[in-house]
Amino acid sequence: MGATKTDANGGHGPTRRDIIRTIGAAGLGAATAAPLTRRAFAQAKPPMNLSLWTFENPQQRPWLHKRIRMFMEQNPNVKVDFQWFTFGDLGKKISVGFATGTAPEGFVSQDWFMPTWLDKALLAPLDVQRLGYSSVNAFTDDFASAFVKGAVHDGKAYGFPMWFYGFCNYINTNHFKEVGLDPEKDWPKTWDQFGEVAKRLTIKDGSRFKRQGFKFAMHAAQWTMIQFNPILITHGGQWFDASGKCAINNEAGVKAMTARASLARQYGAEDPADSIATNPLPQMDWLKERCSMFWCHPIPPAAITSQNPKMQSDHYYRPVQYCGVETGKGISTSYGFNLVINAQAPKDKQEVLHDLYKFIMSDLVDCWKETAPLTLARKSGWTDHSTVKDFPYVNEVLRAKDEGVFLPRTVVYNELADATHRGVQKIMLNNADIKATLDEIAAEVDRASTAYKKG
Amino acid sequence: MTRTSTIGGPPLSSVAAARTARPFWRLHYSRRIQLVGVAFVLPTILFFVVFKYGPMVWAVELSFTSYDMVSTPRWTALENYRSLAVDPVFRESLWVTAVYIAGSTILITLVGLGLALAVNTAVPGARYCMGAMFLTNLMPVIAVCLVWRFLLHPYGLVNQLLAPLGVGRVDWLTDSRTAMPAIIVVTVWRFAPYFMMVFLAGLLAIPKDYYEAAHMDGAHALHRFRHITLPLLMPIIFFVIVVSALLSARIFLMPYIITGGGPGNATRVLSMLIYETGFSYMKMGRAAAISVVLFAIMMVFTFLQMRIFMKREQF
Repeated sequence: MGATKTDANGGHGPTRRDIIRTIGAAGLGAATAAPLTRRAFAQAKPPMNLSLWTFENPQQRPWLHKRIRMFMEQNPNVKVDFQWFTFGDLGKKISVGFATGTAPEGFVSQDWFMPTWLDKALLAPLDVQRLGYSSVNAFTDDFASAFVKGAVHDGKAYGFPMWFYGFCNYINTNHFKEVGLDPEKDWPKTWDQFGEVAKRLTIKDGSRFKRQGFKFAMHAAQWTMIQFNPILITHGGQWFDASGKCAINNEAGVKAMTARASLARQYGAEDPADSIATNPLPQMDWLKERCSMFWCHPIPPAAITSQNPKMQSDHYYRPVQYCGVETGKGISTSYGFNLVINAQAPKDKQEVLHDLYKFIMSDLVDCWKETAPLTLARKSGWTDHSTVKDFPYVNEVLRAKDEGVFLPRTVVYNELADATHRGVQKIMLNNADIKATLDEIAAEVDRASTAYKKG
Repeated sequence: MTRTSTIGGPPLSSVAAARTARPFWRLHYSRRIQLVGVAFVLPTILFFVVFKYGPMVWAVELSFTSYDMVSTPRWTALENYRSLAVDPVFRESLWVTAVYIAGSTILITLVGLGLALAVNTAVPGARYCMGAMFLTNLMPVIAVCLVWRFLLHPYGLVNQLLAPLGVGRVDWLTDSRTAMPAIIVVTVWRFAPYFMMVFLAGLLAIPKDYYEAAHMDGAHALHRFRHITLPLLMPIIFFVIVVSALLSARIFLMPYIITGGGPGNATRVLSMLIYETGFSYMKMGRAAAISVVLFAIMMVFTFLQMRIFMKREQF
């Protein structure tokens, strides 16, 4: 029989059985704790499935896709269901998604849809600190003020601006030289010069156009808006007056539409019925050298190479600024895209989307390298880099971005765009009276505004 | 098995309950056949209720509401219909749709019948032509629309073929006077061969004896067509008119792809307006109201045709 051990205080000391029991208990505890620790770790980063939608573009969408894949590699618990739709269809898809409860947790929103989403409280406010900014002011200061205005509402940011670009007048320098014009000096600076230069660049074979001096896009309502917007503004017009009534039919509006129509009616430099433009390639007529000038967003070299490799290899094109009523007063249209979050998305998903958006926008030089010359909304982190500075005519696209006027921000944007597009078709294709047609447009838009207010 | 008897027999309700509770295999044969029939038809009935009539009823209900696809629908009674009545775009679209339905239906019927009569002759190779013509129905509609866009381009094949005849440039798709006729021509090109088959089936069903008798009586071809073919084909003609009119009323892709509804509103049929109102402007209540109007017009149209043709049949 073993004697019982006593400690200094007279109590029993630990026996061998106590020690074994303790070791056993510790072992059991460790065995139990080990999986618990793992579970606790897994709970910190549970598997998460996110959906993100954007528009299709041969440069921007692949870059976005690349950044999302990189994010998923760094965060193996996050799976992003990334989908893309044609530029014109994205807004409709999202509307239907909201209606049916299948809208994505995050999406890229065209700037002109922001008023609609915000008015219906469909977007979640962004936590700017999670995006790396100290305050909303710091956030707004990092972007072109005119653009970020559309993403901020009641002191809260609802959109993280991505790309934002202004339109330029793209000219075919070979065509200029052919007719004895110096493309560096003789590009049109005023509306009168614009008509004259376009006329000079036009080549006709009887009544048939072999080459149009300039080409207005006639294939989609959105392009009608983009191209008419600066004409209206430079002529002193406005889409809506202070009371919210459509003002496109006022004197300045008539003047602007007359200027737009003059290319075909007065100068005979354009054939509105003849175009091969499509939604994916609105600049197709210009790329195929069927017209000499075209107003377009910055065109990536890859897009030019795909349709006209010679034009890109010989580089006989350049962007110039829009013309104005006075020389040097030309302004372009600008618009952009925001990364936004669905207000219905669960909080934890919203947080991960913030991290994803921050990651996407954290390497703007890489973005420029793959999508140039599509300019970015952010002021910092890219313009001073050598790859940006060395890009041909980069100052023209940067200036157009900085000085461009925005498309109207209104809750009846689609109605306005469709009505204007139909009006322009009537004027240009059926020779309709300008004032009467603008009156029709204004009446239609006002009816839409009234109906919207009624709810 | 024990039975409890009551004076005067069991109550009627319990007898009925016992009858209904009778197992399937003990039912009368004819009753079993009925139930099996119902079981077979039930999936189809359910399909129609869930995917066809249910949504139709819901659309009618929506037409009395304001619904932006996001908020809850709000009851607005007849407001959508009132606003449609004073909307010039809707009125224009309604007129354009009526022109399209009338033009397409008449031409599809005439061309379909003409083709069937031509194929039904003894001309060698006529039956082979039928196969070639029917191919237009097998082509995907988007491909058809894109091909016709190129053909009808101001410098397209159609204008080039017309040029030697002294016809100047015609802007088929961008002139409001020619855009709708052009869309009708494409519709007829696509659908007439399909209805040709229907007519052909009708022609083949007419007994040859009638023609032989008429021939012996000295009736020439036109008389035979007028007094034998036409009256005996009347049910088929009625069918073709109704079906092609309904088909035309729902047309969407052709004007959407070929002209986008333009120039102006020249080819904006009601289906396009419904799509734009619902999905672009997010006004589902109003879009539903336009759908109901279109449905009502087609119902009236079909009813009138039925009345006219039924009367003729009685004669």
